Amino acid sequence: MSENDLLLRTGADTETTVPASDRPAMPLGPDGLDRYTRRDLRKEEIAIARQFHGGTMWPYAVAAFGCFAVWLSFFPLAIMGMLNLPLAFVLSCFFCVGGYVTSHEAMHSNIGQPGSKTRWLNEAVGAVSTIPIVFPFSMARLMHLEHHYHCNDPLKDPDYTDEAPNMWAAWYKTWYNRQPGVDGSIHHYKRILAEMGTPAARRALVETMILQLVFMGTLFTMAWNGYAIEAALIWWLPRHIGLSYIRFFLSWAPHHPREGKTGRYENTNIFKSRVGHILSMGMQYHLIHHLYPGIPNHRTKEAYYALKPILKARGVDVSPL
Amino acid sequence: MAAVLKQVLAWMPFFFGIGFIAPLTAQLMQLWEIPAPFGLSPIAFGLVFGGTWGLIANIRGRWL
Repeated sequence: MSENDLLLRTGADTETTVPASDRPAMPLGPDGLDRYTRRDLRKEEIAIARQFHGGTMWPYAVAAFGCFAVWLSFFPLAIMGMLNLPLAFVLSCFFCVGGYVTSHEAMHSNIGQPGSKTRWLNEAVGAVSTIPIVFPFSMARLMHLEHHYHCNDPLKDPDYTDEAPNMWAAWYKTWYNRQPGVDGSIHHYKRILAEMGTPAARRALVETMILQLVFMGTLFTMAWNGYAIEAALIWWLPRHIGLSYIRFFLSWAPHHPREGKTGRYENTNIFKSRVGHILSMGMQYHLIHHLYPGIPNHRTKEAYYALKPILKARGVDVSPL
Repeated sequence: MAAVLKQVLAWMPFFFGIGFIAPLTAQLMQLWEIPAPFGLSPIAFGLVFGGTWGLIANIRGRWL
């Protein structure tokens, strides 16, 4: 007996009883999964992700305060002529970049949730970490959370201005966006904060202005007292290098290409970095951070490999790693 | 106060030119033993160079 015979009812016409296509019984999503499969995958995903939340966070606080203290000591040491400037320059670049990593944990309250005993530590870590890049924590947190809420939205994602067609254009844009007349990075942030108009946004704008004036005041004072080269190598140049590095690895690389990619599993990529896991600050697994911001940076790699089969089933390109 | 600070920040590239680039230029010239042109002192040359560059950056909205 043929397959058609099995499908046919007695007396029925072949054309009306045999389906013309293998159309599914229920509508499938763009990922080809029905909603029951998606729900089961999501439950499994949450159960796995939960295992990676929290953990030891004090090293972030030690790193933040330790690096800030060392960086701060460079200024009097430079004036006293007791500083190895090339070494201080390299370390300052490292502190500028690393400071964003520690502040990033504080932005997501991973060091201390509101109302917890360690909340003060969370806020203190955030506050000191971004001083070397002249980017107040209040502004950094507001803008970063907006980035999470509206990831890859051309109008609402504050980091959308980092988008560029390729790696070299992205590096160029990290510098271009900081130009005084360009509506990119911090200038873009200031405009968004002014539009928000909330008390928190106003506070962030005031703190930004104060920190920028302190930065300029320090540079000018040191420069006119004979320490311009020292000021350039301890703060001015490391800040620029750090900001470009942060913009490239934390914004462009994990989100490129941004256009039209606003879905939960498509707004961030898994990518293989040429400089490795540590030097790219764990950003190869940035998708995990966007799915679960409560997973600390040092556990995203581990969480990715645990979640990889589910991510693959959800249509994520997991081939790079 | 806020309006004054906004004006200061609006002219920041020019101030940066005379406040930082000028002494930085002068100190680099002294470090690398580069003489200033037209018989100028290093700091006078730095002020002309930094002030002009900062003003151009202010007007054009780009440092380069």
